[in-house]
Amino acid sequence: MKTLQKTYLKAWKKANKLGPEKTIKILKKKGLTGRGGADFPTWLKWELTRKTKSKERIIICNADEGEPGTFKDKLILEKNPENVIEGILIAAYCIDSKEAYIYLRGEYAYLKDKLRKTIKKILKATKSDLYLEIIEGAGAYICGDETAIISSIENKRGYPNFKPPYPSQKGLYNKPTLINNVETLANVPLALINKDWNNHSRLFSISGDVLRPGVYELKIGTRLEKIAKKVQAKNPKAVYFGASGGCIYYEPNLIIDQKNLCKKNVMLGTCSLIFVNKKRNILDIAINIAQFFTHESCGKCTPCREGNIHILNLLERIKSKKATEKDLQLLEKLSIIIKDTSLCGLGQTCTNHILTAIRHFKEDFQVK
Amino acid sequence: MQDRSAKKIKLLNVLREIQKKHNYLPEEEIRKLSEKTGIPVIEIYSTATFYSMLSTKKKGKKIVRICNSLPCYLNGSLNILEEAKRLLGIDINQTTKDGKFTLEVTSCIGCCDKGPAIMINDKLITNITKEKLRKLLK
Repeated sequence: MKTLQKTYLKAWKKANKLGPEKTIKILKKKGLTGRGGADFPTWLKWELTRKTKSKERIIICNADEGEPGTFKDKLILEKNPENVIEGILIAAYCIDSKEAYIYLRGEYAYLKDKLRKTIKKILKATKSDLYLEIIEGAGAYICGDETAIISSIENKRGYPNFKPPYPSQKGLYNKPTLINNVETLANVPLALINKDWNNHSRLFSISGDVLRPGVYELKIGTRLEKIAKKVQAKNPKAVYFGASGGCIYYEPNLIIDQKNLCKKNVMLGTCSLIFVNKKRNILDIAINIAQFFTHESCGKCTPCREGNIHILNLLERIKSKKATEKDLQLLEKLSIIIKDTSLCGLGQTCTNHILTAIRHFKEDFQVK
Repeated sequence: MQDRSAKKIKLLNVLREIQKKHNYLPEEEIRKLSEKTGIPVIEIYSTATFYSMLSTKKKGKKIVRICNSLPCYLNGSLNILEEAKRLLGIDINQTTKDGKFTLEVTSCIGCCDKGPAIMINDKLITNITKEKLRKLLK
C-alpha cells in the first residue's frame, strides 16, 4: 500500500529546506484533504492556524478512531507510525508549534508503547525540541469530534462545543490548534516527496458480510461492484457508508466518489463500507445502530440525548409488529429533528441511517 | 519544558493509570490525586464518570468487553455475548461473585475485519468463538 510507504524523514528535510510557505503551497497544489471524514483542505487548516496571532500554537493528531467499521488509522499506527510523526513534525515546522499531542483512543492502548518508542527515536534523529505527548482516551466515541477532543485533553468531560471559534483560532487551552487525522498526517510526507501521489488514493475499511474484510487502498471513482467482487461480498443487499453517521444504499454501478454519492444523499466520510447480505433485515441493523447512539450520545443536546432513546423505542415497536403508519411517520420526523437541532457531527448524522433505510428499504419496516 | 500548558496535568492519562492498577478508581486515590493536583474531587468525578473505560465502582479483576457494533454484530457478537453470560452466570454490567470477571458490552474496538472481537482488560481477542471464550473465562 502506498500510504504505508515510509519516507524516512526525507519529506521533513525537504520542508526545512523549502520553508513553511512553499511547503504549504505544495500541499495545496497536491490537494491533500482531511481523512477524518470531512475532506477539508489540509493546507487551508494549516494556513488558518498559522495566521492566527499567538505566541504558541498546538497540534493534535486525532487518533480517536471510533466509527464502527473504520479501522484504517489503526493499521497506519501499527505499520507506519513513522510517517504520522514525520507529518506532525512538518506541521509543527510550518505552523510554528512547539507542542503536540496524539489523542489515542483507549481501545488502542496496546499501540502506545511502540508509538512512544517511535516518537523518541524520531525526535532524537531530528534533534527536534517539539513536546509530543500521547493522551490516552478512555472510551468515548464523541471525543473524535475536534471540539470534544479539546475538552477531553483539558481534563473535562468530552463535550463538543459551538464553532466558531474554530480550533484554528481558539483551541486547546485557548491557543490556535491544528487538529489532523492520523491518515491525513501520514499522507503529508508522501504528498511532499512522491511525484505520483494524488488525493484520489484512499484507505477503505471494509467489513460486514464479506469473505475478505480488511483495509484496501482504492481509487476514488471505483465502482461499487468492483469493490464487492474484490472483497467477495456475499449476495449484497446494502452497503453502510460508515456504520453510524453513514447512510445505507446499494446500486452495483454506483461510482464511489464524493460528488456522485452526494447526489444520492450519501456521505463517503471515512471511507468505510459495511456490506450487508440479502438474508439480513435492515430493521435489525437499525436497532443495533440506535443502541450505539443511545450509549454514545454525550448528553449535551436534548434532541440527541432523549431523541435517540425514542428512536430506539420506535424501532423496537416496529420490530414487535405493534407499530402503525403513524409511528413510522414519527420515526422519520424525529430523525430529521435530531439532525437539525444537534450541535455536533454525531447528532447531525446519527439518524442518517434511518432516513436512508426507510427511503431505500421500506419493505423491512412493516407497520400495521 | 518551558511551556506552561505542556506541563499541565493530563487527567485522563493519570486516571487510566489508576484504573489499570486497581481496575477501578477508588475514592481514596481520587482524593489523593485531588490533593496532589489541586483539581477539586468533584471535578475529577465529573470527568471520570463521562468515560466508559473509567469506573468509580469496583469491578472484577478482568473486565470482559464484548463489541456489539455493526461489523461484530454481523459476525455473531450476540451469540458470544449470550455464551459469556451463560459461562459467567451474570448479566451485562455485573461482576461474578468471586470478583474475577465483569461483563460489559462495548462500542466498536476497531477490529471490524476480525469480528467478533472482545477485550479482556487491555488485551484484544479477535475472531472469537464460543470454544475460545470458554478457555478464556475459566
